[in-house]
Amino acid sequence: MNPRCNPADHLSRRALMKGLLGTAAGGVVMNWGGLTQSALGEEAARQKKHCIYLFMNGGASQFETFDMKPGRPTGGLFRPISTNVPGTQICELMPKMAQKMDQIAVVRSMQTSEVDHPGGIYLMHTGYQQAANVRFPEVGSIVAKYQGREGADLPNFIKIFGHGDAGAGFLGPKYLPFEISPEGQLPPFSASGLEPARELKRHELRAFIEDRYAAERKSELARMHRESYEAARRLQNARGAFKIDEEWEKYRELYGDSAVGRRCLLARKLVEAGVPFVEIGQSSYDSHADNFAWHKGLVPPMEHAWAGLITDLKDRGLYGDTLIIWAGEIGRTPSINNRAGRDHYVRCWSAALAGCGVKGGLVYGASDEDGVEVKDNPVSEGDFFATIYQALAIDPKIENYAGVRPVPLAPFGSKVVSEMLA
Amino acid sequence: MDSLACASGYCETMNINNPKLLWQLNFEGPWPTGISFLGSGRRLAAANEGGQIYVWDLPETPPAFEAPKNSERKAPDHPPVRRLEGHTNGVTRLVATPDGKTLVSASLDHSIRIWEPEAAATGNADAVLDSEQRKSKAKREQKDEILSAPGVTVETLNATHTLAGHEDWILSLGTSTDCRRLISGDVASRVIVWDLAERKEIARWSGHPWNWIVAAALSADGQTAVVSEYRYKRDDFDIPAAGLRVHDASTGAEKLNVMQAMFPKYRPVETSYGSAQVWRKFFANGLICADISPDGTLAALGQGGETDTGKIQLIEIATGKLVREVSGHQYGATDCKFSADGKLILSTGRDTTLRICQVEDGKEVAALGSPRGGQFKDWLGALAISPDQKFVAATDIAGLVHVWALEA
Repeated sequence: MNPRCNPADHLSRRALMKGLLGTAAGGVVMNWGGLTQSALGEEAARQKKHCIYLFMNGGASQFETFDMKPGRPTGGLFRPISTNVPGTQICELMPKMAQKMDQIAVVRSMQTSEVDHPGGIYLMHTGYQQAANVRFPEVGSIVAKYQGREGADLPNFIKIFGHGDAGAGFLGPKYLPFEISPEGQLPPFSASGLEPARELKRHELRAFIEDRYAAERKSELARMHRESYEAARRLQNARGAFKIDEEWEKYRELYGDSAVGRRCLLARKLVEAGVPFVEIGQSSYDSHADNFAWHKGLVPPMEHAWAGLITDLKDRGLYGDTLIIWAGEIGRTPSINNRAGRDHYVRCWSAALAGCGVKGGLVYGASDEDGVEVKDNPVSEGDFFATIYQALAIDPKIENYAGVRPVPLAPFGSKVVSEMLA
Repeated sequence: MDSLACASGYCETMNINNPKLLWQLNFEGPWPTGISFLGSGRRLAAANEGGQIYVWDLPETPPAFEAPKNSERKAPDHPPVRRLEGHTNGVTRLVATPDGKTLVSASLDHSIRIWEPEAAATGNADAVLDSEQRKSKAKREQKDEILSAPGVTVETLNATHTLAGHEDWILSLGTSTDCRRLISGDVASRVIVWDLAERKEIARWSGHPWNWIVAAALSADGQTAVVSEYRYKRDDFDIPAAGLRVHDASTGAEKLNVMQAMFPKYRPVETSYGSAQVWRKFFANGLICADISPDGTLAALGQGGETDTGKIQLIEIATGKLVREVSGHQYGATDCKFSADGKLILSTGRDTTLRICQVEDGKEVAALGSPRGGQFKDWLGALAISPDQKFVAATDIAGLVHVWALEA
């Protein structure tokens, strides 16, 4: 299969028409590149893969999670614990994940190119550095495109306290994320305050006016606007998927009594309801001060929720088709500053993948004895995202067009870390 | 003054008159943390984040010393004589009986250890306490042998007892004036009151399950406990409420919920960002150090974590009423203690200073040390007051232990 689309198709009106679906918050930017890859997208969609991105905003420390250096000057205050994978140890803050190590693959050799938050968040959502002339789409938008369902009641890309603002980039507003609050509440625009009958009348009137407007002006914007409303109206049928209060008591212990636990339960519900991509954010890892206390506060609820999510997905038979990504935008320095903190560091840090054919129990790559440099098997952001796409049955070499420029899903030269995939 | 305090030799008045820095003891490597005098102003113990505890016997008079140019060193060093071995993770707090014959340490290794610093040594060891200076010198002179050169020989000693009962980091440790009772608290929210002589528990209780016990203090008679709870947030939108309670130390029964007294409308079950803004005004990033005045009427609590104010809050124990805020360490307080006469409150903080303020009006009467560092200053950690009230000491993250004479 040729992953490259034909520029002529790319520029065709039909292709453009097919791709235009703004969300209610959609912008008015044309040239939605690469919407001609429908055949590839449909094939991927048949795989019914899902992805949950656990995004550690601020940059969780590798030393306080998956790459400990006990006894070294860089080691810090925590101690390693054994896991259910013989010979593999992780931080004592993660006792529940220690018993799930046979389910996940850890990369201890992330080596990325953006050391600060905005650039790092962009990078770890798109696989690309920010560029002046190309707006790269987030991984969620790409998964929405290639694994999403046309006309689904639920959005194909949902962020629960998500981070990053790259959005759909050149894929266009059809693939923008649908964002809900840190507490899991839907945005105000997602509910109509009108009686159903009155709302229907208004909808019909609006559709009539829009049709007239579009017929006279051949406007794609009108169509996009209308489809946004259609998407919002369809969402009314599926609002129940966002409600977890009644179930929470049952799952509180499994996910842990925390906001991130609730977000993970909601993510599982959405995946079960067919949503291909959900991002869950947990904030405050930017521990320039009091790194150890901060991680002692942040990591336990996160790892509890993550372990619960794996259990729940497995119990429901969803784990084999759901990829879990665990990463922040940066790692943290080996050295400890005079605020008892660790600063930003991207020369050597950790991330993890689980589910969806990822080889459990694997530790890929290694850092040196103080965690300063990658010793073996460096993994770039491009490699990481190429591996993610491969796991999701999406060819990372598929090219979309930003204007006339072909842009592969993972940057040119990226390699799939095939050792991580079963 | 409390009779028990006087009986224990704690009835001296603290006089501040042209304080002088006497010693700057090398303690490089993991950050120095706990500190305590051992019976006099010339003997002290200090601990670090590596779990090591050293004991120094200081000469009566420091040698003549001329500060090198462009050096942070302003006073002479003196080598330690003993190393107390056994902790496997950082020591957080040290306390000693007034006679200095018993030392107690709390640790991140979940244990409390009891030491007799004057007991017969178990062995000898080579101790390197100037590792950072060696690294600089080896780099400057390009001689690696400097790094491996012998340090000082110290006697080694093991703990006489280990108090087990905590299952997570122990961040707080306090004593009654006579040290018959200890109080300890951990990050699993467990508080234990101990009979030190019997090495057994008197009472135990728990704070809110989501909180850590970050500071705990006993009254002079050991009957009342003040316990501060806090934990770092689980997310920007999931911030458990701090807590501050007064307990009967013999039973654990709660006598006063200070948070409730201070913020009657606050619902502590809420963990939202907005709710945290209510209590943060008082708690900042946790009241991480505590002491009770010798007469048992006031509690001093230091705002810790990285916070702009770093105030020491004085509250009335009977009512929970805030009496006044004193001192102020930019970026946070790290320790606080009343003088034996209860007239002064001493505190250390993340501004590299030890400040001494009058309790009655909050007026600062001395600031020892000086801010050092860039935008964020180096910390002075724990502080200790000698039993005769003539000396104070503090640990410094730069790898030093400072000892000052309060009357030059």
